[in-house]
Amino acid sequence: MTVRRPLSLLCELTYRCNLQCPYCYNPLALRDYRDELATEDWRSVLEQAAALGVVQTQFSGGEPTLRRDLATLIGAASRFGLYTNLISQGTFLDDALLDELIASGLDHIQISIQAPEAELADRIAGAAVHARKLDALQRVLERDVALTLNCVLHRHNHDAIADVIALAERLGVRRLELANTQFYGWAYRNLAALMPTRAQVECGEAVVAAARERLRGRMEIVYVLPDYFGEFPKPCMNGWGGQFITVTPNGDVLPCPAAAAIKTLRFENVRNSALDAIWNDSDSFGRYRGTGWMPEPCRSCERREIDWGGCRCQAYLLTGNAGATDPACSLSPDHPTLVQRRENAHSTELVFRRA
Amino acid sequence: MSPDALPKLGKGVKLRNDRDGSVMLLVPEGALVLNRSAAAALALVDGRRSLENIIEAVVELFDVTPERAASDLHELFERLEQRGFVIDDRS
Repeated sequence: MTVRRPLSLLCELTYRCNLQCPYCYNPLALRDYRDELATEDWRSVLEQAAALGVVQTQFSGGEPTLRRDLATLIGAASRFGLYTNLISQGTFLDDALLDELIASGLDHIQISIQAPEAELADRIAGAAVHARKLDALQRVLERDVALTLNCVLHRHNHDAIADVIALAERLGVRRLELANTQFYGWAYRNLAALMPTRAQVECGEAVVAAARERLRGRMEIVYVLPDYFGEFPKPCMNGWGGQFITVTPNGDVLPCPAAAAIKTLRFENVRNSALDAIWNDSDSFGRYRGTGWMPEPCRSCERREIDWGGCRCQAYLLTGNAGATDPACSLSPDHPTLVQRRENAHSTELVFRRA
Repeated sequence: MSPDALPKLGKGVKLRNDRDGSVMLLVPEGALVLNRSAAAALALVDGRRSLENIIEAVVELFDVTPERAASDLHELFERLEQRGFVIDDRS
């Protein structure tokens, strides 16, 4: 099959973070990623990605502002013609750092909050940081850089969606992302304590629909659907090896940010291989690219090039087989497994992220 | 967006001439591929030229029916303004 060019590069600069959010999608084995790529390695990754045709790059983590070379890397990406996004929780975004990042060419910042008010937000983050985040949001809004306010949704804050929207409105935020928890890494570990109820999901959707109508032309609300409540799976990464490349802090190259969980694949590393060869010729990127790998019911499904069989990582986590139909699909023979996980999610014990 | 609006690109919005000859509008975490007349119109957006002036200039560039092109471009600017990708510099 012909391989299209990648369009988007996610640079997970570090998995270090001063917060402990139990919904984090980072892997449980955070200690395995302490041997971080050097500035020169990342610069080379960015240059190779631009040459491959990538146009968008996200600097994320962990908390990417913990890397002292962040401005240098944003500057490099910018010079290579890449659009630069910073995905941050905002606790280190003071005036000096913000000015340095923007002067280096930063185009867009996404800052996440855990809840609309401090008590709940700080409890979820595992640290008293909500007030600092609000200060950072204010500082970003005053500057010449685009902003998205993000809030990850789960059982403990799903009832507060209207308040998150009201906060965004009060601040004058133009773009709000309300993202239902994706169950990978620490979030998967905490699935039974984070899964929202069906009533919460239905209520949340109504609140979002009404707010979109009311705020049309003033605020864009991006709503990331809850995987475990839909009829069909998400088109994860728009297809494995279709558009997206993730590079982890130690240089592993993944077709999906959650793919490290898949133990039946061996991933290449930028320390040993060229990005071009990894994208075009590696087994890990080729294995589930396109539709040729699909089992039934995907193979003959009319949606096979709409959702691309869903998420390989989710299939692996729930069935042990990364080549199975995503159990989030109601047509999957493994769908009952997912329904059972959803319906039995009654735990109250949250395991906070830690190295 | 009214004909006398002075459109400019919103924060974090950039035009990019791609290596394959196409033009993209890069926006936070996304990209829109533009057709030829949309690309020409957005290249003229600077916060000083009026929307009417921009549309007139583009209609002249291409061999198109003026009414059709003007209505397409009005619709494009309307959609881009809704999403904050283009803003009226008078406001």
